[in-house]
Amino acid sequence: MLTLSEVQNITGEKGNFQVEILKKPRYVREDRCIACGACTEKCPGKFDDGYNADLKTRTAIYVEYPQAVPLKYAINPAACLKLTKDKCGTCQEVCPADAIDYTMTEETVTIDAGSIILAPGFKPFDPSRFDNYQYAKFANVVTSMEFERMLSATGPTMGHVTTFPKVPANPKKKKDKLLAEKRKDPKKIAWFQCVGSRDVNKCDNAYCSSVCCMYAVKEAIIAKEHAGSDLDCAIFFMDMRTPGKEFEKYYQDAKTRHGINFIRSRVHSVVEDPETGDLHLQYADEMGQIVRDTYDMIVLSVGLEISKETRAFAEKFNIDLTESGFAKTGSFEPVTTSRDGIYVSGVFNNPKDIPESVLDASAAASAAGDALAEARNTLTKEIPAVPETNVIGDRPSIGVFICDCGSNIAGVVDCPDVTEYAATLPYVTVAEETTYACSQDAQDKMVEIIKGKRTQPHCGGGLHPEDP
Amino acid sequence: MESKKTGSVVVIGGGISGMLSALDLANSGFYVYLVEKGPSIGGVMAQLDKTFPTNDCAM
Repeated sequence: MLTLSEVQNITGEKGNFQVEILKKPRYVREDRCIACGACTEKCPGKFDDGYNADLKTRTAIYVEYPQAVPLKYAINPAACLKLTKDKCGTCQEVCPADAIDYTMTEETVTIDAGSIILAPGFKPFDPSRFDNYQYAKFANVVTSMEFERMLSATGPTMGHVTTFPKVPANPKKKKDKLLAEKRKDPKKIAWFQCVGSRDVNKCDNAYCSSVCCMYAVKEAIIAKEHAGSDLDCAIFFMDMRTPGKEFEKYYQDAKTRHGINFIRSRVHSVVEDPETGDLHLQYADEMGQIVRDTYDMIVLSVGLEISKETRAFAEKFNIDLTESGFAKTGSFEPVTTSRDGIYVSGVFNNPKDIPESVLDASAAASAAGDALAEARNTLTKEIPAVPETNVIGDRPSIGVFICDCGSNIAGVVDCPDVTEYAATLPYVTVAEETTYACSQDAQDKMVEIIKGKRTQPHCGGGLHPEDP
Repeated sequence: MESKKTGSVVVIGGGISGMLSALDLANSGFYVYLVEKGPSIGGVMAQLDKTFPTNDCAM
């Protein structure tokens, strides 16, 4: 795994490529960093937190999120005071593992590879350029990505949906303080579909991004779950496209069970109330009547777009693209690019959702492996066997780990009560509640507990959100 | 058997698709280099709260 790395050059041909990779410095030694987080506590450098859709800032030394892989801190050289102005150096002083190294430099490595798979993904469409929705100007017009982070238990608002989401929780500036006073829990939220998709008038994306209909329905359902059923959710759409397994049922359930309003209309424009920040909108309904309505928040369902960097990459390495910037492939070779031996998977192939990306990934892996069949198992290494512990005759020792999965399970099951009850059962030596038990940090902790208590490894208790 | 081809693959991009391709190839006997421009893998999917239609956690 090569992180903070970018491909600089590709030479050679199918079966024998040489790939030149530029490794950017992390300024933190991966072999030493223990991810304790001491370095971030006093770090004065700040920059926008891209993981949280820039809704908040983060320190210059950071880990993207607690479950990140590899779980190693990194310094953003543009935001670090030591690296930009040679002032500070606090993180080096406080690091208990002596992992900080400001002298790290870029390095270039060349790798021999038989095949190459391109999976550079997409970037969410930036709606700032649309003057009719005023995303850049109105505080309560947000993108679906920002809304997604607001819904997340690990997001900037810890799953609480509120207006003026970009105003910090503890505002210091006068302007922010005034806005924070206006903050409220929205009672009416509207989603605008096809922002940056199926549009050749205001942008050049003629294609359907294929995921926005479903994620908008999902966001509306989850928003209602968080805020209560009196939240008024409306989705303004051109066509609802539900082409996957159970997707149509999900859409129908949203209408009938969850009471989400679906309005077939493309809203012309949005006007902000300068006092309250509420959003007035005007649209024509299916009968052609003009309707005026006011919402507390508008979510723009932005489409998927191929980034400028990916387009430049494709041009540099002779990968043909379609008009919309996706990799050109053939009907019978859906993961093969125009350059022999280079394959494509994910959204760079065409807009798609997660299950389809997974399918695409396996297809690209098969094609890439097929081309190298004769070289199979020539470079792989043996996985060292894990020594087994003989526990025959030991007293059984059972560990119960209850995952609350944010609000996903905790919203349905009384996790503390279950944990408390489990602790009273025979042979249970550990009963703990944990958030996101599937994440690496939580699993490492479980391994430690299992080793320490000699808890039998077959006894981890978990719940699946689908059947709580 | 002597091979004229290199038994390794470079996967560019550490999102859900790149990670899956890398795992599939590693499981089928190829050495894989997963190249990611950010400090950690996971891509956009790791930013999502829930995924439809099951409303499962995306992490």
